[in-house]
Amino acid sequence: MSNRLLSMSALAVAACLTTFGAAQAATNIEMFFPVPVDGQLARDMGTLVKKFNDTHPDIVVTPVFTGSYDDTLIKTNAATKAGKPPAAVIMSANFLTDLVIEGQIQPFDDLIKASGKTDDEFMGQFFKALHPNAVINGNVYGVPFQNSTPLLYYNKEQFKEAGLDPEHPPKTWQELIVAAQKLTKRDGERVTRWGITMPSSYDYCGWLLEALTMSNGGRWFNEDYGGEVYYNAPSTLGAVTFWSDLANKFKVHPTGEQKAPGVSTAFLAGQTAMMVLSTGSLTHVRKNAKFPFGVAFVPSNVRNAVPIGGASLVQPKGLDAEKRKAGWTLITWLTAPEQSGWWSRATGYFAPNKGAYALPDMKEFLAKNPEAKIALEQLEYAKPWFATYKTLAVRKAIEDQMQAVLSGKVEPKQAVETAQKNADEIMRPYVERTALKLPAMN
Amino acid sequence: MSQISIARPAPIAFPSRFKPLAVNLNLRAYFLLAPSLVFLVAFTYWPVLQVLWQALHQQDSGHTVFVGLANFTAIFADSAFRNALVNNLIYAVATVVPSLILALGFAITLQQSSWVNGLLRSLIFAPVLVPLIAVSSLFLFIFLPGIGLLDHYLAMLGLAGANWVGDPDIALYSIVGLTIWKNAGYYMLFFLAGLQAIPAEAGEIAMIEGASHWQRLRYVTLPYLHNSLAFVLVIALLNVVTQVDHIFVLTKGGPSESTNLLLFYVYQQAVEHYDIGKASAATVVSLVFLLGLSAVSLRRMEQSAEAQT
Amino acid sequence: MSRRRFDLDDLWPRFGRVAVIAAAVLWTVPFIWMIVSAFRPSDQGAAAMASLIPDYRPTLDNFREAWADANFPLYYLNTTIMVAGILAVQIVTMSLAAYAFARVKFPGRTVFFYLFLAQLMLVPIALLVPNLATVARLGLYDTLLGVMAPYFATAFGTFLMRQAFRTIPTELEEAAVLDGARWWHLIRYIYLPLSKPALIAFAIVSVSAHWNEFLWPLMVINSPDNRPLTVGLAMFTMGAEGAQAWGVNAAGTFLVIAPLLICFALFQRRFINSFVTSGLK
Repeated sequence: MSNRLLSMSALAVAACLTTFGAAQAATNIEMFFPVPVDGQLARDMGTLVKKFNDTHPDIVVTPVFTGSYDDTLIKTNAATKAGKPPAAVIMSANFLTDLVIEGQIQPFDDLIKASGKTDDEFMGQFFKALHPNAVINGNVYGVPFQNSTPLLYYNKEQFKEAGLDPEHPPKTWQELIVAAQKLTKRDGERVTRWGITMPSSYDYCGWLLEALTMSNGGRWFNEDYGGEVYYNAPSTLGAVTFWSDLANKFKVHPTGEQKAPGVSTAFLAGQTAMMVLSTGSLTHVRKNAKFPFGVAFVPSNVRNAVPIGGASLVQPKGLDAEKRKAGWTLITWLTAPEQSGWWSRATGYFAPNKGAYALPDMKEFLAKNPEAKIALEQLEYAKPWFATYKTLAVRKAIEDQMQAVLSGKVEPKQAVETAQKNADEIMRPYVERTALKLPAMN
Repeated sequence: MSQISIARPAPIAFPSRFKPLAVNLNLRAYFLLAPSLVFLVAFTYWPVLQVLWQALHQQDSGHTVFVGLANFTAIFADSAFRNALVNNLIYAVATVVPSLILALGFAITLQQSSWVNGLLRSLIFAPVLVPLIAVSSLFLFIFLPGIGLLDHYLAMLGLAGANWVGDPDIALYSIVGLTIWKNAGYYMLFFLAGLQAIPAEAGEIAMIEGASHWQRLRYVTLPYLHNSLAFVLVIALLNVVTQVDHIFVLTKGGPSESTNLLLFYVYQQAVEHYDIGKASAATVVSLVFLLGLSAVSLRRMEQSAEAQT
Repeated sequence: MSRRRFDLDDLWPRFGRVAVIAAAVLWTVPFIWMIVSAFRPSDQGAAAMASLIPDYRPTLDNFREAWADANFPLYYLNTTIMVAGILAVQIVTMSLAAYAFARVKFPGRTVFFYLFLAQLMLVPIALLVPNLATVARLGLYDTLLGVMAPYFATAFGTFLMRQAFRTIPTELEEAAVLDGARWWHLIRYIYLPLSKPALIAFAIVSVSAHWNEFLWPLMVINSPDNRPLTVGLAMFTMGAEGAQAWGVNAAGTFLVIAPLLICFALFQRRFINSFVTSGLK
């Protein structure tokens, strides 16, 4: 009896060892991804990863859905601290500076070198505007995967109805106000159609205000140093005042905070004639709009300029060499021209890899979808996304004020002063240990 | 069996029933507590100790420095924290009181079992079954300005709608409305249960004596429900502090911090600000806040239970 | 009893009834919208989205889409395992501890009791990182057991059961002991059956809490095969770039709650009656 038991357990151990041996042939890794719009894209991601697994027999990737961009950040940090870092994460690109300062992610430089390229050669395949959010302190920390810029969407039917030329959307702030006034429809006191709506919930609010500030000639933040923002600069004040005027003075934009899903829904339902939203929503709008729509550059006051948005692939610290290498293989594959182009067509994001636009599939797609081409053209004027020490808190400092301005609770002048004061307070520890840490006299 | 009782001879007049119970099972008590304690140590005390330790320290570019109570003074100096504390108090009062009154009203009206009542109970209980994360996206649509369900029907009635979760003055109350909708049916269930325990004779006697409906409610029904009320109060209070999924999905504490609650503040400090020290200090404060709330209600619950035995 | 007073008095319950029916209708509105929009074809456009009256030919497209996006039966199974598993272990740990607190005198009883109660105040988000580290160290990362483990001990349950146990006359126990019953017999055959109302009340609290849970399972689970319903649902409900597929979202939510709602409607009467015990109270 006991003999039999013994031989049985020996068998079991042997069986375990064999399966273990078999499993070792392939490296199992995980990739965290937030879902950009609806379940369909999670499925597309599954298709993409399956293709990778089929063509790379030595690596098995499990795509892990991780909720929103914020949830993805929490989950990545928690998993890393628990000793289970994923080999690749699609991370909101403006978290990167912060993650580097906090020491949560590691640079790819050695892996790039091992592939026989220099950092510049490697990054050279991506659009220039994407570099500052990926290369931090001279090291490559992120590989751009899905990127966007803000875009003006407009309803061509309603343009015609209001006597506007649907082929000539507003280019300047002045033209925007004129068009929005013509497009706004009222039923007594109640507005039944707004001229323009821009989302002002957290995240979107800061991003669009940055876009307005940049097109007002401003800089918004110091691209080379994570401890400075220019919230009380005239260019920012002008942008805040302009947005405030649309809502409070000209009354062509709804008051109060507007949530992004609400804005796209209102646009699709014809309740707002224009909206500013990410290029990442392009596919969703194309699929769901029951009217001809057009897209255009974000109207400008001083110059054409918009910030980049979207997400990059990063690797947390604490991965063993084998998984790191497998993760790197996945990352380079996902960001290669072919995949980059495929994902761009599925989502509406532009393909960060310039090579994608040289492929026949992409050329054909752009010919068929002129609005995707406009999104691409705007890239020429794109600038880095806002990223500082404690990015989210610093961004929120002005978002809270902007939301109060849109609700008519605070004047723009006072809002930018308060925002600047709060932001400076948040960045103070960093500033004190960097820019203000001066050589002591003996 | 009696080693312990020999070691500690019982007084002669000691009631016999204490012998097997009190003395013999003495060591066994720790054995009985052990399964719970294993999990409590692993998943409560150990992390709580870490939190306490972190609350007294500050992480600074990789170094950890002991800062004493600096994190606590920092959060109390932070207007966002004070704001979250006030919001949480308003949220607690504004959700708990109406939910409990509604739940009680529902339960009393629907206490007789009939198919109509069964249907009504099911309808009112239904929101409990929807996970909070789905409730939030449902209400995202309901609250949409202009196009949402609420504004759409208000417009049909000729009323101007509002930007329900986008206006800092009313956003918190919209969240309150959602929470009441979600939880009233849940609390109703416990009151229905409590009502079942009232002997039918109690009501009949009162009826014969000519008591009005109000009098019966006041002097017969409510005293019997004392226990259920205390129970529901405890879970309701725990809910208002520990459940913030809808804040995550719907408002992220905005606009302009108007719906920021304690737990969401903790999340912001930990995740968005990478400030574990402040997050831990805020956790400790909310722990104390909860401890105070639940100590009072648990004591009440205990007393009402003792009053019955 | 005067005629006038009777009328007035009789009016209150009627008024209450009307009010409750009105409330029930109000309570149902979000569900009606959910159902109407789940069956709304997407070519209907967004103009009449808020309408509660279906003015279209219903379609199953949204359901098809939701069904393809998420493996609902599997998620259902996972959530059921999770919720039932937590409850089962909780019943064991809490009744043992409650018995100790209610019926055994031992040094440090009060201290231990307060130590237990500390768990009530557990603020899950703050403990996310340390608990995930513990779960990973135990080898439970990416398992349902890992999601469940932190909830196996319950202060609230222990408190409730202790209260219920204390109302049970000690004479019952003494008689059983004389008959040769051991302590586990006492718990199993005397204490637990006589505490059924408390047990059911706790079960509702426990099940509804874990049924709703999102963030903790999201942290622990990686494999799609281990996903609970809430994480699966989040795929529809979270639109990051400002787009929301309302119809698919509604269909997904509908698929999640419909089975439960039908069960509740069928069994609610028995369920509520089960609170009432025989004899005691």
